[in-house]
Amino acid sequence: MAGGQQTTSLRTYALTRLGLALPMVLILLTMVFLLLRVAPGDPITAALGGRLPPEQLEERREAAGYNRSLAVQYLEYLGNVATLDFGETIVDNRPVTRVITQNGAATLELTVVALFVALLVGIGVGLVSGRYRDTPVDVAGRLFGILIYAAPVFFLGFLAQLVFAQWLGWFPTSGRASPVTSYDLDTPTNLFLVDSLIALDFSAFSDVLSHLVLPAVTLGLVTGGVFIRLIRVNVLQTLQGDYIEAARARGLSERTVMWHHAFRNALVPVITVVGLQVALLLGGAVLTEQTFNWPGIGSELIRYLNNRDYIAIQGIITFFALVVVIVSLLIDLLNAWVDPRVRY
Amino acid sequence: MSVAQAEATEVALEAPSGLWRDAWYRLIRNPGAIVGLLFVLVFVVAAIFAPLLATHDPVEQNLLLIANGCCPGPSAEHYFGVDLLGRDLFTRILYGARYSLLIGIVSVAIGLSIGLVLGAIAGYVGGFVDSAIMRVMDVMLAIPGLLLAIGIVAALGPGLRNVMIAVGLANVPIFARLLRGSVLAQREADFVLAARSVGIKRPQILFSHIIPNSISPVIVQGTLAMATAIIDVAGLGFLGIGLEDPDETPEWGSMLTEVNEYLQVAPFLALIPGTAIVISVLGFNLIGDGLREALDPKLRGR
Repeated sequence: MAGGQQTTSLRTYALTRLGLALPMVLILLTMVFLLLRVAPGDPITAALGGRLPPEQLEERREAAGYNRSLAVQYLEYLGNVATLDFGETIVDNRPVTRVITQNGAATLELTVVALFVALLVGIGVGLVSGRYRDTPVDVAGRLFGILIYAAPVFFLGFLAQLVFAQWLGWFPTSGRASPVTSYDLDTPTNLFLVDSLIALDFSAFSDVLSHLVLPAVTLGLVTGGVFIRLIRVNVLQTLQGDYIEAARARGLSERTVMWHHAFRNALVPVITVVGLQVALLLGGAVLTEQTFNWPGIGSELIRYLNNRDYIAIQGIITFFALVVVIVSLLIDLLNAWVDPRVRY
Repeated sequence: MSVAQAEATEVALEAPSGLWRDAWYRLIRNPGAIVGLLFVLVFVVAAIFAPLLATHDPVEQNLLLIANGCCPGPSAEHYFGVDLLGRDLFTRILYGARYSLLIGIVSVAIGLSIGLVLGAIAGYVGGFVDSAIMRVMDVMLAIPGLLLAIGIVAALGPGLRNVMIAVGLANVPIFARLLRGSVLAQREADFVLAARSVGIKRPQILFSHIIPNSISPVIVQGTLAMATAIIDVAGLGFLGIGLEDPDETPEWGSMLTEVNEYLQVAPFLALIPGTAIVISVLGFNLIGDGLREALDPKLRGR
């Protein structure tokens, strides 16, 4: 009976949450459209003005529909996004969806591994710091967290390149794979780690992995700083809980108290923060990709930006923001499933 | 005990320890905050007195210095060495502090003022206005801060003023949320009800009662926002999209743009500007954290 009630309220919550996400997406699209249209002129003039004779420019503007009223263009933009058409870049006539499918895999690989590193470092250091409060371990952990939080991703990336690539020679400096590997490897998924595993090509796998280590660890460490702080505070708070004292009073070993009572409860809010960190992770990815010559969406964004290609910029920013909205929706649902209190 | 007596004891209890005085004492007993204050002091002094402290001209190139390869490191003549175009790095770091401080202050002021107004309106008016404002703020928070700034710079074009606007606007939702939460928490507080019951008008209650009582979290957030602003500005500079003339302008982030090819021969070209960024960001973060602890009423009297 209780179970039945629970599933109904979870479904209600999911529907409400979904209902809230839709106007958010609409506001988002409107904002991106307005933002990139307050620029004087239109995207074609911005990208190609001065490079094409005026008549040709006019022709291309007309072909792209920029002589129509803003309202019509706005509705068309909404319609296109609804059918997952983010437009076509001006400088190299590439559909933005292709930018996303071709370069997205590189970004996905980087950010997923980075998130993993962030969780590993954040949870590890956070738990130890909280457990051994005010000991040298805790001080070191906190100091590490504060320092890492103040370092720009690209500076940390340079340090990593300098120490681990240039001085020690453990990892390659930049790129996604060495030329031999990228020439030989079949890339059906474009996720090089997965592709090399499918091909059972282990030398390619280790090559790809060694290229991934520095960028992913760099991005992961910067993102992980927040987790350290959060988890440490959570451990401190849970350790003050009555049930911890009760568990100790029942004579449970300190180890059981820590792992089954304290740490477990301290980790619940991490789910929420992972959702919040996705935005930071994507912003950091742009800088990391630029630092390590990583051929992801972020690198493409900067390339198009330098060419003043507003269609590409608009498409890529829309895509990034949609990812954040969708991830936060999923996180909220996950949270509601894990923690019934969230639904109210 | 008469009311007058009770008031007298209350006043006597409160007088020697005002919130700010208390907070200050707590702040200067916090080692982290002291380090933060020192770092920020170095940063601010460097920014203000850059022309006096500088040993060279920040944009003057001296290609003769790099004729024998890049780049001569720190020496008695050039404390921090010279960059790829033979410019004195020490001088450029000092002038870079000016850019970071100026952009930081102005952009935080932009974000703070717009954010506070929107947050106050949302919290105080409520209803449809509230949901409309806050949904837009949610969406702004969904766009990664750096990307939002990139989008705004793309739309407005590069330049010092536009970078300030971009970084400032990216900060708006944080302050709006903060003040809205604070207003909602206080709207039904006793002193607000008291003010309302004696017929004080709503805008006046907002400005003379609610906002002053929300000021301490705003100051904490403002300090932390300075740190974020410095990092964001450096990020834009690094990507080469912030300033009109990134080669000329001594901006910390842009100093790191072209140095990765020279990491092996001249690591100081990356280390010195990077350290400058870290020190200033760290300074504001430490002060912000210290202030948060010092101003938190839950920790008072402990």
